[in-house]
Amino acid sequence: MGEKKREHPGRSQDGQRRVLDQATRQRRLHRQLDALEKDNFQDDPHANLPQLKRLPQFDDNNESAKKKKKTRGDHFKQRFRKNFQALLEEQNLSVNEGPNYLTACAPPSSLPQRHFCTVCGFPSHYTCASCGARYCCVPCLSTHQETRCLKWTV
Amino acid sequence: MATLVLDSGAATAKIGYSEEQVRCVTPASPSGSGHRVQRSFHSPFGFSYSVIPNCQFRSKTARLKTFTANQIDEIKDPSGLYYILPFQKGYLVNWDVQRQVWDQLFGREMYKVDFSETTILITEPYFNFNSIQESMNEILFEEYQFQEVYRTNAGTLSAHKYFQENKSELCCLVVDSGYSFTHIVPYCKGKKMNEGICRINVGGKLLANHLKEIISYRQLHVMDETHVINQVKEDVCYVSQDFYKDMEIAQLKGEANTVMRDYILPDFSTIKKGFCKPREEMVFSGKYKTSEQILRLTNERFAVPEILFHPSDIGIQEMGIPEAIVHSVQNLPEEMHPHFYNNIILTGGNTLLPGFRDRVYADVRSLTPCECDVSVLLPENPVTHSWEGGKLLSESSDFMDMVVTRDDYEENGHSICEEKFDI
Ligand SMILES: Nc1ncnc2c1ncn2[C@@H]1O[C@H](COP(=O)(O)OP(=O)(O)OP(=O)(O)O)[C@@H](O)[C@H]1O
Ligand SMILES: [Mg+2]
Ligand SMILES: [Zn+2]
Ligand SMILES: [Zn+2]
Repeated sequence: MGEKKREHPGRSQDGQRRVLDQATRQRRLHRQLDALEKDNFQDDPHANLPQLKRLPQFDDNNESAKKKKKTRGDHFKQRFRKNFQALLEEQNLSVNEGPNYLTACAPPSSLPQRHFCTVCGFPSHYTCASCGARYCCVPCLSTHQETRCLKWTV
Repeated sequence: MATLVLDSGAATAKIGYSEEQVRCVTPASPSGSGHRVQRSFHSPFGFSYSVIPNCQFRSKTARLKTFTANQIDEIKDPSGLYYILPFQKGYLVNWDVQRQVWDQLFGREMYKVDFSETTILITEPYFNFNSIQESMNEILFEEYQFQEVYRTNAGTLSAHKYFQENKSELCCLVVDSGYSFTHIVPYCKGKKMNEGICRINVGGKLLANHLKEIISYRQLHVMDETHVINQVKEDVCYVSQDFYKDMEIAQLKGEANTVMRDYILPDFSTIKKGFCKPREEMVFSGKYKTSEQILRLTNERFAVPEILFHPSDIGIQEMGIPEAIVHSVQNLPEEMHPHFYNNIILTGGNTLLPGFRDRVYADVRSLTPCECDVSVLLPENPVTHSWEGGKLLSESSDFMDMVVTRDDYEENGHSICEEKFDI
């Protein structure tokens, strides 16, 4: 085995603390918000049943539904396969011609942004220089650095 | 002819026949233990309606079966319960799942629908996409072969009920905070005013998922326990009336911390349903001697529902409910403003959070001119309010002219539905 470079976590090779750029921070936020829309975090308990050889959940029919489906044309089936994003794009909406799904979305608040410690949830006064997360005290900062910050392990 | 009223929400279907046409229905068992909101209601006239999960489930312990809607009652151990939902962001995308739920609801075990003799009154989300609307027509008329169909928004039914019960009012503002999102919708003389509709992308699903996330990070891995944590949310969360004060209390040590709760998680053998440890049995310092799994909740109790009032707390750059109410009203003619502020009505599951009504009232009060009266009504049952409105509507004399019959549809197709239904 060759010699491994020793790196301090969160520090680049020249010893500077790594800083996440704005775009990375935004991506991280979006990932977090997308996760809040998920139906499940675990795997489908039927996913690994070999004898059933399941297709993705969209195809999970019982007997009666299967019978019905056979009687419909293919174009019909296609329409039942679109996810939200596809339906939204197909609707071809514009914010300039309202009212519609897009224009109905609540605009940003005019109240000041509030800040909470990402570790304990209490009001926070400090911002992590590396990733922009908020923290309230030294113990929370070190928990943050050990668990999330630049690596996001939990 | 019978009329089946179905408020088809992303989390729960509110379903039942309207009064005149009671049949021998088999409603879901009352108030399942620890399960999703699932209750049946019996009126003095003997009719009944139920709130049933509008989805399918899979369980770790029953590896061969997919459970549909009320069959959740058959699942003895719902830990790690896996959800298959027909809706995505509040819109119907998975018709295979939806049809299986409907087969169950309409079928022998439950509402025993005789399609050729039945009118269905069914709800859809605001600004529902065209292709979903068309699929809806096709499935209801061509597949199930309902005799007549009426499609509308759940909030429109709530407004109908409100105007029926308050005949002198001209306007009302329906706040519907359900599973997928929260809508604020103005109605004037029974008519929906599209230019005032405002949607906040925060609903009960997001609240439960956020609670799951922070509990998993702070104390115990519960990411797979949507079902259990949703119940925790309904059992312990509340809307704060003084947010920063509650934050201070929640930080106190020992008994002075009146916000703190210890929640005993269900193990589904000896403990079928989770619950809060009674205050006098709480151990404030040190560990419990018992072996139960316990969650200690402090600021989570009110910081989670607070997202409805400040979505930006978690990075969703949208107004909260009170600000959005004012925003919605300001998009409407000025002479109507006092009428809207004076007739705010709350519906949907989240409005059951303790303190919800008072907080909406206080915040809207502080955001509006003081000469303007503010009144916020929380109906007795905010989850089934629109179902009740649908029942009322289906019994009114105008209803006959509002529906589309199968003959109409066969002759004119989607266009007649587009013309008659205000989605
Ligand atoms: N007592 C309660 N306290 C807090 N939340 C509750 C309570 N009862 C129900 N809820 C929540 O309300 C939500 C369901 O509300 P509702 O039945 O109005 O939604 P829906 O009509 O199915 O969905 P949508 O209208 O978004 O399509 C769930 O997230 C549920 O956890
Ligand atoms: Mg609803
Ligand atoms: Zn902290
Ligand atoms: Zn950081």
